Amino acid sequence: MELGDKLEILADSAKYDVACTSSGVDRPGRHGQLGSCRLPGICHAFTADGRCVSLLKVLYSNVCVYDCSYCVNRRSNDRPRATFTPRELAELTIGFYRRNYIEGLFLSSAVVGSPDATMERMIETLRLLREEYRFNGYIHAKTIPGADPQLVERLGLLADRLSVNIELPSEASLTKLAPDKKRTAILRPMGQIAARSTQSKGEMVRYKKAQAFAPAGQSTQMIIGASPETDYHIMNLTEGLYKKYSLKRVFYSAYLPVVQDERLPALTQRPPLLREHRLYQADWLLRYYHFSAAELLSREEPNFDPYLDPKCNWAVRNPQFFPVEVNTAEEAALLRVPGIGPKSARRIVQARRMQKLGMAELKRIGVVLKRAQYFITCNGYAAARGTRQEIAGALLDPHAFGVGVQQLSLDDFVPQALPDAAPQVHQLAEQGVPVPEAARLVREEALTCLTRRM
Amino acid sequence: MSYTAHVTDIAYRYDGSFPGFLCCIFESYAKKELPAAVLPPEEGQLSLFGSRDIPTDMARASRVAVGLARLGGEVRKWVYSGFLSCQSGKELILLRLARRCFEQGPRVLSMLGDEDVAAAFRLMRRVRSEAATYFELIRFEQRGSMLGTVIHPENQVLPLLREHFCSRLPDEDFLIFDATHGTVLLRQRGSVQYLAMTHYEKGPSQEEQDWQALWKRFFKALTIEERRNEKLQMSHVPKRYWQDLCEMQPDEVEEQQKILENPCQIPSNMV
Repeated sequence: MELGDKLEILADSAKYDVACTSSGVDRPGRHGQLGSCRLPGICHAFTADGRCVSLLKVLYSNVCVYDCSYCVNRRSNDRPRATFTPRELAELTIGFYRRNYIEGLFLSSAVVGSPDATMERMIETLRLLREEYRFNGYIHAKTIPGADPQLVERLGLLADRLSVNIELPSEASLTKLAPDKKRTAILRPMGQIAARSTQSKGEMVRYKKAQAFAPAGQSTQMIIGASPETDYHIMNLTEGLYKKYSLKRVFYSAYLPVVQDERLPALTQRPPLLREHRLYQADWLLRYYHFSAAELLSREEPNFDPYLDPKCNWAVRNPQFFPVEVNTAEEAALLRVPGIGPKSARRIVQARRMQKLGMAELKRIGVVLKRAQYFITCNGYAAARGTRQEIAGALLDPHAFGVGVQQLSLDDFVPQALPDAAPQVHQLAEQGVPVPEAARLVREEALTCLTRRM
Repeated sequence: MSYTAHVTDIAYRYDGSFPGFLCCIFESYAKKELPAAVLPPEEGQLSLFGSRDIPTDMARASRVAVGLARLGGEVRKWVYSGFLSCQSGKELILLRLARRCFEQGPRVLSMLGDEDVAAAFRLMRRVRSEAATYFELIRFEQRGSMLGTVIHPENQVLPLLREHFCSRLPDEDFLIFDATHGTVLLRQRGSVQYLAMTHYEKGPSQEEQDWQALWKRFFKALTIEERRNEKLQMSHVPKRYWQDLCEMQPDEVEEQQKILENPCQIPSNMV
């Protein structure tokens, strides 16, 4: 098979893996080697679905012995199969990297033969890249559940970031949809990587020749919408993972129906993109805004509001927390104001050491005041006054009512609901309501509801 | 504002170089005044203010440079990268910032609510974020033993690209051609030069074309059709960058097919 065909097949099989980040490690280039890493990571291209391409994301092979029902590469699915050789993959990576197409390699694989055999081939590829081709760029490797701990150890010494996919949010769903994978087989390497990573960090400080083990930490991903778990369950799980295994990231992937199966949602179902977006927003609140899962959701309100982002939702439920005085409040309190993020909060704290901040100063600092103005005071004066309806209008997330022209052919100028608009907009549009009208109706109803709640 | 200078209606005209700009700062202290505008030669004719030519004197420039260096790395970063901007009026913004820093110390930089500082901050951030975009979007092609590429940036970002690419490709020779400003960053045998250049011929060999085709196939294979969202794509990579990205160029075969499907679309000069 030609290399181009292989690349196409194995990239196509890998595209459902969400993690494509190159962050977490800062490593300047060295003579005699190729490449460097930057702490925030670099995205190199954006595909037509708006996702970034940072790494050469491919499977080593898509010839799988498992039969997980949600996966395109399962044994029983009829699709072209291919397998790289370690040298092909290494040369491809170097060729792309020199041309600045990619930031490094993201290597995952279907289970070829057995987990151990697969891992050994992946390790051989990475060894070739690091030792023979002297590659100093970023490598993200996925460990195969059920592989020997010693192989995980060797992989961690070659890669910058490791990940183990948790696949589904609960054990019950995993048993039902991926009968070959065991929850313990997923969590054990996760624990091993976390412990080994901490140990290696300690050693790096003390010994000159200590080897870095997965210096950019580990991440995981799960599929949303293929099984019946609530957002509350998912957020609690996420929080637990961050705390227990000190993960760098948890990724969510909206389930795309790829197969007809009575255990799975119907093929006609849309991928729950808005729900995925809300989960990511909440995930950010956990990592950068000092929120906890219990503050965002509860047993009584187990799912996120589709029309309101989780932070606004928290603000609406906790009016006693506001207003926040920008000139004196702690940074953590500023972070709870809708519309103020980590950057704005840091700049406010920095700027107010030197001068009193009023509305004009906030604008110059670059704080987005559309929502924030109703929740802050400047020197004791309310920044803005608005009726309940005005405030509700500012809080609603325009994402949920997105309408636009997505031109797929030359004569296609009909406005359509954007892929991540609320499901209600899509439903109305399918019933024959013109799309802008549908979006307006849904927004009006959401506005009335929210106004009543406040 | 605690200026020890009067705002005057005089515009300074300088030669457009960085030392020339430093001389403008010197002049503003020497005459105890703040100019109404600082104009590079190409804008000199358009001003309504009475103007004064500021000669470039290396001795004066280096005195100001030493003073700026004393204020620390952050001030240096703001002034130097701000000056790489091609926005008109950048000189006055930077001159006012420099005076504030000389008078109140580098802590002025954290007064982001202040008009002068906020303007300089925006200027600096715009340049640096454009440079950071080029860390992502440069596509090299192999030309003989060298890597080469063309970019069309708004600002003069080449000096900001230098460190990143020299560190990333420590043993490679490469050139980055800035087509907007006609300058080129040339790295050969470990040393870097900035040269003037008027034009760069894209001439990829067959092997290079194969690499580009391979990258394009990979790029296309990664798209998930069910999630297609071109607006999002465009907000991440604005269209002005597309001309230099090989994966954004339409395939020749596909183009011909499109024309065959819609014969009425054939441009008249092709019939």
